[in-house]
Amino acid sequence: MSDHHKETFITKYIFSLDHKMIAKQFLLTGMFMALVGMLMSAIFRVQLANPGESSILYNFLPSHWINEVGALNPDKYLALVTMHGTILVFWVLTAGLSGTFANFLIPLQIGARDMASGFINMLSYWFFFAATVVLIWSIYVPSGPASGGWTIYPPLSALPQSIPGSGTGMTLWLVAITLFIVGSLLGGLNYIVTILNLRTKGMSMKRLPLTVWALFFTAILGVLSFPVLLSCGLLLIFDRSFGTSFYLSDIVINGEVLHNIGGSPILFEHLFWFLGHPEVYIILLPALGITSEIIATNSRKPIFGYKAMVGSLLAIAFLSFVVWGHHMFMTGMNPFLGSVFTFTTLLIAIPSAVKVFNFLATLWKANIRFTPAMLFAIATVSTFITGGLTGLILGDSALDINVHDTYFVVGHFHIVMGLSAIYGMLAGVYHWFPKMYGRMMNKSLGYIHFWTTFICAYGVFFPMHFLGLAGLPRRYYTNSSFPMFDGLSDINSIITFFALSGAVVQVIFLFNFFYSIFKGPKTTKNPWKSTTLEWTTPVERIHGNWPGELPEVKRWAYDYSKPGYEDDFVPQTVELKEGEKDV
Amino acid sequence: MSVNIKAIKQLLWIGIGSICMFFAGLTSAYIVRKAEGNWMSFEIPDPFIYSTVVIIISSIVLTFAKSKLKQEASPFKIILTVFILGIIFTALQVNGWKELTNQGVFLTGEGSNAAGSFLYILTLAHLVHLVGGLVALLFSSVSAVKGKYSLENSIGLDLTSTYWHFLGILWLYLFFFLKYV
Amino acid sequence: MANVLIPLIIILAIVALVQITRVSELLGELKKIDVNNVTEEDNNTQGFLFVVIGGAFLIFVVWQMLEWNHLLLPPASSMHGEQIDALMQFTMGLILVAFFLLTPILFYFAYKYRGRKDNRAYYYPHNNKLELIWTVVPTIILTGVIIYGLKTWDSVMNVDTSDAHEIEVYSKQFQWLAREAGEDKVLGASNFKLIDATNNLGVDMEDPNSLDDKVVREVHLVVDKPVLLKFRSQDVIHSAFLPHFRVQMNCVPGLSTQFAFTPTQTTKEMKIQEGEDFDYVLLCNKICGAAHYNMQMKFVVETQEEYDAWIASQKTLDEKLLTQK
Ligand code: HEM
Ligand SMILES: [Cu+2]
Ligand SMILES: [Cu+2]
Repeated sequence: MSDHHKETFITKYIFSLDHKMIAKQFLLTGMFMALVGMLMSAIFRVQLANPGESSILYNFLPSHWINEVGALNPDKYLALVTMHGTILVFWVLTAGLSGTFANFLIPLQIGARDMASGFINMLSYWFFFAATVVLIWSIYVPSGPASGGWTIYPPLSALPQSIPGSGTGMTLWLVAITLFIVGSLLGGLNYIVTILNLRTKGMSMKRLPLTVWALFFTAILGVLSFPVLLSCGLLLIFDRSFGTSFYLSDIVINGEVLHNIGGSPILFEHLFWFLGHPEVYIILLPALGITSEIIATNSRKPIFGYKAMVGSLLAIAFLSFVVWGHHMFMTGMNPFLGSVFTFTTLLIAIPSAVKVFNFLATLWKANIRFTPAMLFAIATVSTFITGGLTGLILGDSALDINVHDTYFVVGHFHIVMGLSAIYGMLAGVYHWFPKMYGRMMNKSLGYIHFWTTFICAYGVFFPMHFLGLAGLPRRYYTNSSFPMFDGLSDINSIITFFALSGAVVQVIFLFNFFYSIFKGPKTTKNPWKSTTLEWTTPVERIHGNWPGELPEVKRWAYDYSKPGYEDDFVPQTVELKEGEKDV
Repeated sequence: MSVNIKAIKQLLWIGIGSICMFFAGLTSAYIVRKAEGNWMSFEIPDPFIYSTVVIIISSIVLTFAKSKLKQEASPFKIILTVFILGIIFTALQVNGWKELTNQGVFLTGEGSNAAGSFLYILTLAHLVHLVGGLVALLFSSVSAVKGKYSLENSIGLDLTSTYWHFLGILWLYLFFFLKYV
Repeated sequence: MANVLIPLIIILAIVALVQITRVSELLGELKKIDVNNVTEEDNNTQGFLFVVIGGAFLIFVVWQMLEWNHLLLPPASSMHGEQIDALMQFTMGLILVAFFLLTPILFYFAYKYRGRKDNRAYYYPHNNKLELIWTVVPTIILTGVIIYGLKTWDSVMNVDTSDAHEIEVYSKQFQWLAREAGEDKVLGASNFKLIDATNNLGVDMEDPNSLDDKVVREVHLVVDKPVLLKFRSQDVIHSAFLPHFRVQMNCVPGLSTQFAFTPTQTTKEMKIQEGEDFDYVLLCNKICGAAHYNMQMKFVVETQEEYDAWIASQKTLDEKLLTQK
């Protein structure tokens, strides 16, 4: 940028307006929260494998969460599960993933100097930051953090008498999520407008990299669905704090007859899942976009069926608004309505299948270069297949009767949403690290990190399907109260073993990440020999991204191994030859 | 129009879309909740009718700001008028709530009903968004006093107007929704 | 002890990582190569690992299916449950086929098309015919799945309940209760405002239908007789889950929900089949508070005679509440 006013530490690293710095802020906050969330899951997995026993991991917890014999209190188990879900869904895989890569990649890949509004962008991060502080704070209030599950269904979440976490903890949860939503909306607005308006010359929508397309649909989903969660939360706040009866009716608790009449908890579920389902695609789509990009680059081959890839993203995004009822088959909803939701839900399998086949077709006759990012991208396809298939069971209302809210669901969504998105995020970090920090991450550590993670993750989540098919409900402090589950303790031990190992091996990644920021070997301008615009910027990562003129785009983003060219990649800025057709 | 101005206008429009979803969420909750029964019916108090008129007038007045610019005059007085009308609107809404409690329609507590609670919350949520509009008007009037606006350079005023008209339309929607749905 | 050990292990691990990284970097300097460049050798190793570890994953899946099969729920003990099981088998079969087809292809492609220096990828941006095929084929298969699924759903949910035996299942933190309608076969009215220490369910004793109602702590069903469970909740949402019967329904305060089914196997028969300690059990399957994990009630399926004897031994509400007053 022309006006080179002096940058202080504060304007450069803290209240930065530069999209690249804001992206890193999101990434670091997201990584921190990922660690917190992962630690929580390690703790409750220990409880599930050794119910009622003490563990050194409990030293991380406030002391009043532990009873006299050193075991975790049952309601605090639920607190951990709730916070784990909230943190991973919203903080890590919404803000951490979209926030990082939308901010980082959109301007770089469309050829813009920055976001449409740097100021709004900065606000977006600081709202998120404030939300983070409030959420962490809520863990330490005396009655404990929110404990009603990340879906916060009332009346449980509305009545402090029903579980201690529904007191101050829940209030802070709602404050945090409100701040979070405001931050996400500000970010989302910016992403959409930037993509629509600030594309450089020649960058038509038809030439956008798939990452940008995915982030675009993600932002639209967010802008349309988060406000509904806000309205849902607003009514809950009034029920909790001001005694209205939107969601409450006919309740007697602790011998006290409440005055509320006529409210409906089901209403809450409708509003919640109208956001909740799009939310899972807000998590997944960026990962799919990143995966497409990385698979094409490292296969040295164009992504197969670009148009179908965009079309299926669009179809998934659209359908995600009309399927929310599949979370509510067992609420006594009208069976006909259930049928409608089954129908729309199973339709999503079609665009998903198209994506999988197109990924496979991209790999066919490729010349694959296995960077750590590529390994994670392939793993994303694998989890997308594995987890997507079990969705056919959960989306079928008749089958959902017996697996709804069991560990089968936990297995399903961790694989299809949790793992796919985490892999996508890790792939993105490995791939764009040179662009973010000007240095390379260590390859060998990347390989070790990948394979250990891959093994542990399937070791954790695949067996959960069997727990579910054995009838084990989720959100159980222990399954030792039912003789029918006595045979399951082996499975539980296996899961916990892999969960703890999986958590430990993340140290390899963390080490690699921070070590490489400072000590990694310097990178060249385009280390992956990629076609997209971000690799035409200088390694030094300057304000405004490109010195001098913005680059001009002449072709689509996937000219890898194009016949007639010496190199196996043709950057987007290279003029089409005489008579050459752009795809 | 430069790219940036276009982008910023779009930013506002998409933001408006987002606000619409918020109210769509609330009003569909209203419909679903009403269908479940146990629903008190009551008359919408008069102040809300007056406030509707006031906000319509304010929107009409605001359209003259642009013609002032065409005449190369300052739109300050126009903006100030709209601001005052906005304050009157707010006062009328508060009055409406008072009237409601007089009628025995309460937000909460024993004897309250979701029908009433919804009315309070919808009007309150609208008012919160309106406060944003008032702040924007305040900024615009300061800019107008400083003579910052001209026919070529009126982006601030344009944004404020768009948002203010939106608030009017949103209120009309809510009003007719509450009256007839 | 452990408190010292853990930090120690972490420190050692970090030292080890630094060493690995350093060594690989030094080696690179010695050999004058960029260690982070992906070589053909790397491609070979990683492609190979995809086959080995990917294959191991598939074997792990098969192992689980064989090893843990006996832990899964036994075949349904209800009429509609048999339909659900059939649909489940069909769908499960389908997804297993897809899984065991697609996953090996993915890993095999990774191996087969690992990069070689002298190789060049095949430029193949799209093929409309192929894409059409793999849109249409899943669509056709899904149409089958959807139709089969909806038919099953319809026949499970829309049943004639006119001659079903009605039982109220009542949930609260953290306990299940049930109410039998008694001789008149009609459940008396209830109101949450009437709930107190003696009248747990808030039954309206002014209603003559209530007098012969019986509140019970376990539910007895007659084999092969249709039953209609009506669910209520006193405080938060619970969910009545009877996995052996393939029955689940949420219990929502302020709302009445129901589920009708016909048990087909008595508890005795199941004990022979599944072992002496088998019992049908009702679980709570919606997070409802600290003791959610321990909210249970026994269900017994028996012959008509056994049922008649049992129900006769239970006190009516009239007897219970009046004697207490
Ligand atoms: C670090 C590895 C992880 C482990 C070991 C793990 C384990 C678990 C387990 C066992 C539960 C169920 C607890 C219960 O129902 O009682 C759970 C819940 C959940 N997890 Fe994870 N998880 C991990 C990572 C993730 C990721 C990456 C996501 C992101 C989508 C995620 C999202 C959730 C959600 C949304 C819930 C439900 C919370 C609730 O019931 O309210 N988890 N996790
Ligand atoms: Cu969903
Ligand atoms: Cu319960």
